[in-house]
Amino acid sequence: MAGNFWQSAHYQQWLLDSQDLIQERRPDLEVLSEEEYQKIMIFFSNFIQQLGETLKLRQQVIATATTFLKRFYARNSLRCIDPLLLAPTSVFLASKVEEFGVISNSRLISTCQTVVKNKFSYAYTTEFPYRTTHILECEFYLLESMDCCLIVYQPYRPLVQYMQDLGGEGEVLQLAWRIVNDSLRTDVCLLFPPYEIALACIHMACVVHQKDCKQWFAELNTDLDRIMEITRYILNLYELWKTYDERKEIQSLLQKMPKPQTQPGPR
Amino acid sequence: MEEEEVEEKKGRIRIEEKLKRYEKIDFLGEGQFATVYKALDVETKQIVAVKKIKLGSREEARDGINRTALREIKLLQEVHHPNLIGLFDVFGYKSNVSLVFDFMDTDLEVIIKDTDTIILTPSNIKAYILQTLRGLEFLHLHWILHRDLKPNNLLVNAEGVLKIGDFGLARFFGSPNRQYSHQVVTRWYRSPELLFGARSYGTGVDMWAVGCILAEMLVRCPYFPGDSDLDQLTRIFTALGTPTDDNWKDMTKLPDYVSFKHFDGSPLSDLFPAAGDDLLELLGSLLTINPNKRCNCTQALQMGYFSNRPPPTPGPALPLPPNIRDKRDQQKPTLKRKILDESTFGGSLAKKLQF
Repeated sequence: MAGNFWQSAHYQQWLLDSQDLIQERRPDLEVLSEEEYQKIMIFFSNFIQQLGETLKLRQQVIATATTFLKRFYARNSLRCIDPLLLAPTSVFLASKVEEFGVISNSRLISTCQTVVKNKFSYAYTTEFPYRTTHILECEFYLLESMDCCLIVYQPYRPLVQYMQDLGGEGEVLQLAWRIVNDSLRTDVCLLFPPYEIALACIHMACVVHQKDCKQWFAELNTDLDRIMEITRYILNLYELWKTYDERKEIQSLLQKMPKPQTQPGPR
Repeated sequence: MEEEEVEEKKGRIRIEEKLKRYEKIDFLGEGQFATVYKALDVETKQIVAVKKIKLGSREEARDGINRTALREIKLLQEVHHPNLIGLFDVFGYKSNVSLVFDFMDTDLEVIIKDTDTIILTPSNIKAYILQTLRGLEFLHLHWILHRDLKPNNLLVNAEGVLKIGDFGLARFFGSPNRQYSHQVVTRWYRSPELLFGARSYGTGVDMWAVGCILAEMLVRCPYFPGDSDLDQLTRIFTALGTPTDDNWKDMTKLPDYVSFKHFDGSPLSDLFPAAGDDLLELLGSLLTINPNKRCNCTQALQMGYFSNRPPPTPGPALPLPPNIRDKRDQQKPTLKRKILDESTFGGSLAKKLQF
């Protein structure tokens, strides 16, 4: 995917302010702490990642799907739609947007069932409860909630371009790439343009591999304070992972999570 | 499944709300994938076009939001230009999608076909082709190929503004190693490389189509109306000459390449005796058989044709089919409006200093 980022809907409408983000999440943060909220988001990003890998999607599609999920909950409470339904819906929509080819709905549902059963049994004791019709309905809410802005610019392309310029060895690129993947579990994709995220990840990878990149960064015409801010978001994530055991905690978190009110069906 | 029934009902209510916002005025047309209505947006009092994507087979319905519609939505959210159709709103429920666009009174196909009442002067042709190239240049600079340019998709409103529409086949280009379908573009406007089955192609496919449209405006009927892919190529080569290894290297390596009888072709000045030299220069460059030698939009716009006399007709003075012209005349423009129009359409050439 190409195009002009500076004239894109991503740049014009979907770089949010961190204060606004907190404001939007307030209803959820009355029930959950900020950390708990983040853990839930991490869980569903993991779910999308697993789903994508099982469906053999490219990382680009997975990243777009994750961003869709985050954009939706940047505007809506967890109460609006169960993220367990929104996650596969995001994958479904992203695969179409990225022109990946058709994932049939029945395959998507059966993959969800398998993934929930085999990989996330520590979170869900019951079977994946949703069907095609739920996904189709949810797809439209997702599209509307994002104001039909579907093209997401990811840090992967600038990452590769910068690394060519920096002349990085394979291992730096590889690590930076993985840090970009991890960054999808933070809010940075909602707050910063992809090229800055790419730079932050390169910087971190250089530090780990003790590659001297001072000169290269000094020559960049970019605001290094912002790069450091992104780094802080990602380091916070690593800090959290040190002590956090998803397998133990997630079930009670999911219980606590605000949920859609059940339909007062005419029973 | 009572719960689903409730959901169905809620969905229908959402659509009904939107249908109330867009009051249907008239049926405009039906294509393969969609039906188009003229409607009044009650909230903004604006006339709009509502394109309702047809529900395909049951199986298609299970694919959710139609892919063609999704392509239009995602690309039109990114590009905004006076010569590209604007997307205002999207509504629907499940596979049932409607897109709300600028309302356009007519299209270039209608104008070209209306030989009884419309005269296309050199100025008029210049105005239409200029607007087409401006819109297309913007698309190409954003790495988007339209892939379905034809007179029918060049929409024109009563003010004489042309907007490129129907982005159902459009997509990003430029990703290396990406394979694209060659079954794009309506056959009569399909370029030789597509007809030979090329899977990696670029802006040239759109440029060729513009060339065909320009030729069609000159002769007032489709210029290469082939009835099969082979017939299409035969018509092109008969007119312009069969390409050889010398002027199109690697042509023989294209997947569907077939060797053609040698035609010499005719000079464009024989094919279009009424056209001036500057126009022939542009047309010749657009209808260059080798895609690597075809001009791009930016090059085309810099050609002498666009700075030479006669100047392009200002939008409001462009000829329109009688029914739309009548409508335009009813809304008598004020003087202020006239001045504005002239300045915005840049119809006249810049005044030159005389020494």
